[in-house]
Amino acid sequence: MDPVTKERLFGFRHAFDSPVTLWITLSVLGALVIASIIIWLLRTLGRTSDKLHDELVKRVLSWAVMTPLLLGPVLLGAAWTIAAVAILSVLCYREFARATGFFRYRSLSIVVVLGIASTTFAIADHWYAFFVAIPPLIIVLLAMVAILPDQPHGYTQRVGLGAISFLLFGHCLGHLGYIANDADFRPIVMLIILTVELNDVFAYITGKTFGHHKIVPHTSPNKTLGGALGALLLTTTLVATVGHFVFAGSPVDTPIKLIGLGLIVSVAGQFGDLMLSSIKRDIGVKDMGASIPGHGGLLDRFDSLLLVAPAVFHYINYFRGFGVDQPTRIFGGGA
Amino acid sequence: MEEWRFEPAHDFGLSAEQRRQSLRREVGLESAISCLLWRLITRFYLALAHRLEICGRENLPKRSPFVLVANHASHLDAIILGGILPLRFVGAVFPIAAGDTFFTKRSSSIFATACMNALPIWRKNCGAHSLRDLRERLLNGACVYILFPEGTRSRSGEMGNFKPGLGRLVAQTNIPVVPCYLRGTFDALPPSGRIPRWKKIRVNIGQPVSFPSAANDRIGWEAIARSTETAVRALTN
Repeated sequence: MDPVTKERLFGFRHAFDSPVTLWITLSVLGALVIASIIIWLLRTLGRTSDKLHDELVKRVLSWAVMTPLLLGPVLLGAAWTIAAVAILSVLCYREFARATGFFRYRSLSIVVVLGIASTTFAIADHWYAFFVAIPPLIIVLLAMVAILPDQPHGYTQRVGLGAISFLLFGHCLGHLGYIANDADFRPIVMLIILTVELNDVFAYITGKTFGHHKIVPHTSPNKTLGGALGALLLTTTLVATVGHFVFAGSPVDTPIKLIGLGLIVSVAGQFGDLMLSSIKRDIGVKDMGASIPGHGGLLDRFDSLLLVAPAVFHYINYFRGFGVDQPTRIFGGGA
Repeated sequence: MEEWRFEPAHDFGLSAEQRRQSLRREVGLESAISCLLWRLITRFYLALAHRLEICGRENLPKRSPFVLVANHASHLDAIILGGILPLRFVGAVFPIAAGDTFFTKRSSSIFATACMNALPIWRKNCGAHSLRDLRERLLNGACVYILFPEGTRSRSGEMGNFKPGLGRLVAQTNIPVVPCYLRGTFDALPPSGRIPRWKKIRVNIGQPVSFPSAANDRIGWEAIARSTETAVRALTN
């Protein structure tokens, strides 16, 4: 392995090479501290009820645990980022499989996990051709393996669920990991995760303040036009502003393209949220799990990322590419 | 077009700890893999350390559900009975374990579920309703129970009397009950011991019996317990 790749994969000393990485890390940690102080102040002033206080504490504690789990791998290096995305993929898939009942088809489940493992290898190897070859191959495998039990009833549903599972949790989310093949992946990955999460927060706050018209009451009764537009405006501004520093000097660094990037993050993010609401209503469950106290399941938290990752990836990839100056086929050999 | 039918895991929405304790726990890929690894390791160990000998393997039913019952003198018993079943049953085999022994500490309950795939039964107040849940699960699904109807490990090595709880699971059903006799486990690892000794162990598997006409009440359950006990005792030689 050449030294450049080694530094990218494991070079934690480069964690704060980009000032944006440092700003984002400090702001997130600062936000956690400020949130804790506000909650404490509201409590001492007697402005929050016991129930609300407990709920707020639970949420902040969850974020206090999640923040290092999200930021840590990105700061440590590309190898850890790729591994973290792989773990997130598997855990999200597990939640989805348990909610739909797909986990009972064990051989199909193995195929999906195999797909996630192969995707992780393709990403770590910086082998784009294989990365894009896996989805069709996994569908071929699912279609074949699902025939073996000789029970045609429900065949389409089984193959369909398998395909959705792999595409959403393996392939779509995998794009986030693939960005780690870029020499300057840290600020980009952080920008995406931060703005996607804040997009939710913006929609919630502006929705509470200006929201009157419900947009999709059957899918998610709390989503309002005010919330959607507020998030669109705030997220786009944030993405364009921070993006200007992240992509300084690259072809993406024009006002129009940066605004385009912001719109993609906000729109895909909000639709990702609604996608999970639709899935939950279709299955008939309230939360996708109980893994994050105060949030529900992992998917309840990372739903938006599923749609944002591929959309943003291909948008930036079109203008500037990812890891174009980095060696490819690291383990497989080749140029 | 007909709508898709989803059936979330029966233990969906429970926390990890609640899942381990739940009788509705469903085995996913991760536990199936850990149980399989544990099974392979213990099979190797039993063959090597205890020269495990199995007689009457042909008496094991080809498909689930069924119940394996045996005398109980050692912690090795459930591992052995799990080990003699074909690997395709991995993840479907549930030893019924004492909740108060295996499920009170976090570490042991993780081991009991991740490796042994055990379901807890609380001896103090197990009550009719958890046995009813177990019966329902047996009737519905592809599962195999490993059960020691004496209720505890024999402290003398002598087999004790069978308790009627087994009857509640299988009365008025065609579910086969397979009697097994374990010889040598008390010498290998008695309840008083901590480290297993290199003693030979032998398993005799008897012919399955079912109880479609036994009454599903206390008299019927007692009769089932007695007849299974006799079947196990008949395998002692």
